[in-house]
Amino acid sequence: MSGRDVVIGIAAALLLLTIMVVVLSGGTACTPSTEIRRLAEFYLKHCINLYNKTWWTSSPAAVTSMLWDYRGIDTYYETSVFFLAIIGGVALFRVVEVKLGAGGREEKKELGLSLIVKTSTRIVFLLILIVAVSVALHGHVNPGGGFQAGSVLAVGPLLFMAAFSRRFLEDRLKLDRAKCVALLTIGLILIVLVIASPLVVGGALMQNQPKYWLPKSPWGYLTHVGPLELSGTLFFLDVAEFLVVSFGFTLLFIIVSIPEKEFRRLLGL
Amino acid sequence: MILAISMMAFALTLAALFSYLAIKSKDLVKATVFSAGQSAAFALAFFLLMAPDIVLAYVAVAVGIYTVVLLYIISKTERYEGDEQ
Amino acid sequence: MSVEQILQPYCYAALVTIIAISLYGIVRGASLTKKLIALTIFGDTANALMIYVGYRFGEEVFAPVMPTFEPSPSEIAWFVSTAVDPVPQCLVITAIVINMAITMFLAFLIIQAYRLYGTVSVKKIAKLRG
Repeated sequence: MSGRDVVIGIAAALLLLTIMVVVLSGGTACTPSTEIRRLAEFYLKHCINLYNKTWWTSSPAAVTSMLWDYRGIDTYYETSVFFLAIIGGVALFRVVEVKLGAGGREEKKELGLSLIVKTSTRIVFLLILIVAVSVALHGHVNPGGGFQAGSVLAVGPLLFMAAFSRRFLEDRLKLDRAKCVALLTIGLILIVLVIASPLVVGGALMQNQPKYWLPKSPWGYLTHVGPLELSGTLFFLDVAEFLVVSFGFTLLFIIVSIPEKEFRRLLGL
Repeated sequence: MILAISMMAFALTLAALFSYLAIKSKDLVKATVFSAGQSAAFALAFFLLMAPDIVLAYVAVAVGIYTVVLLYIISKTERYEGDEQ
Repeated sequence: MSVEQILQPYCYAALVTIIAISLYGIVRGASLTKKLIALTIFGDTANALMIYVGYRFGEEVFAPVMPTFEPSPSEIAWFVSTAVDPVPQCLVITAIVINMAITMFLAFLIIQAYRLYGTVSVKKIAKLRG
C-alpha cells in the first residue's frame, strides 16, 4: 500500500460522499423514484391490450416490442452500423489468402489442448447452441431476442478455436469466412423483406398490426398460428437478427485468430 | 426491499474495487481477469435491477467475448506495460 | 434516515466513482491495451447508470414482461403500477452491441499499429514522430 494508493483511496471516498450528499438533497432531478414516467406508462399499458387495439403489438414482452415495433427504425440503423463495423474489420485484413492445412505433414501433429478440455468443449458447445436457439425463438414472449441469442452463440466457435485449432473449424465444421458472410447476408435480406412487405399492400414501413389511420390496409401480420403465439413481425425479425449478429461475430473471431507468421510474411516485415 | 438494495450496494462496491485493481496493475493479463470480475459484479447488479434482457446479453459479451479478445491482443502485442522489466 | 435512504444514493455514487476511475485509466494508460480495457469499463458503467435511473423503488417491483397472454384490465393496471421502466433497457441493448462492434474494430487497429510501429507503449510511439 504505497502513498499513491492511500491518496487515491481518500479521493474516491470524498467523491463518494459528495455525490451522496448531492443526491440526498435532490440535486439530481432524475434519481429513481416510486413512479415511472408518462412515456413508460404508455408503452406498458398498450403493448398487450386486447380491449384497445389501436396501438397494440400482441407481445407480452415490453422490451422486445419496443425494439422492433415502437422504435423499430432505431434498431434498423443500429444493425446497419454493426454491419459497417464488421466490413471495416474485414477490409483491414483483406490481403490475406490463408490456405491452412496445405502441408500433409502438419496433420500428424496433435494440435489443441488436452483430451479433457476437448471433450468438455464439445458438450458445452451443444448446450450453448440449444440455449441460444431457445432464447432467439422465444424473444417475443420471454426476455430474450435476436441480440442476446447472437451474442451467446458467438461464444461457441471461439471456444472451439481455443480448445482445438483454427484448422478444425475450417475443415471439420466447414465454417470458413465465405460461409459466414453468406449467412450474414441472408439475415439482412430477411430483415429488409419483412420490413418492406407492408408497402406492397398500401401499409406503412415496418408495420406490425393494423393502424386506424391507414384505411387501405385493414390487415397486419398474423398474431397466432393455432395455439402458438407469433407476434406479427417480431418473431421473424428476431430470427433474422440472430443470424446477423452471431455470424458477424464469428467472422470477426476467425479473422482475429489468424497467426502472426502469415501476416508478417505477407506484409514483408 | 432492504435485502435487494443492500445486495445492489455490495455488488457495486465489488465492481468499484475490481475496476480500480484493473486500472492499477501493470501486468495486462491480470488486468483482463480483474475486468472480467468487474463484469460479473455488474451482471449481478443488472439482475437485481430487474433487467433480464440485459443480463443475457451482458454476460455473454463482457465475461466471454471481451476477455478472449483481450487475450488475443496481448498474445500478439506486449504483455507488460510501461518500462521494460 | 433509514438504511434504505442511505443506500440509494450510495449506489448512485459508486457508479459515478467507477466512471471517474475509468476516465483516469483512459487518460493516463501507459499502453494502448490498457486504454482499451478502461474504455470498455467506461461504456459498461454508462449503461448501468442508465438502468439505475430507470429503476423503481417500492414494495413490489416487477420486470417489464407481462406474465399472461390475455390480461384483464385489473391485471394491466397492476402491471403498470409495479413494472420497471422499459425505455432505458431498450436503449441499453442497442448500446451493448454497438460498443462490442467498436471494441472489436479497435482491437484490429491496435494489432495493426503494433505491426507497423513495433511497440504499443504510448511514450515510445510519441517519440517516433519526426
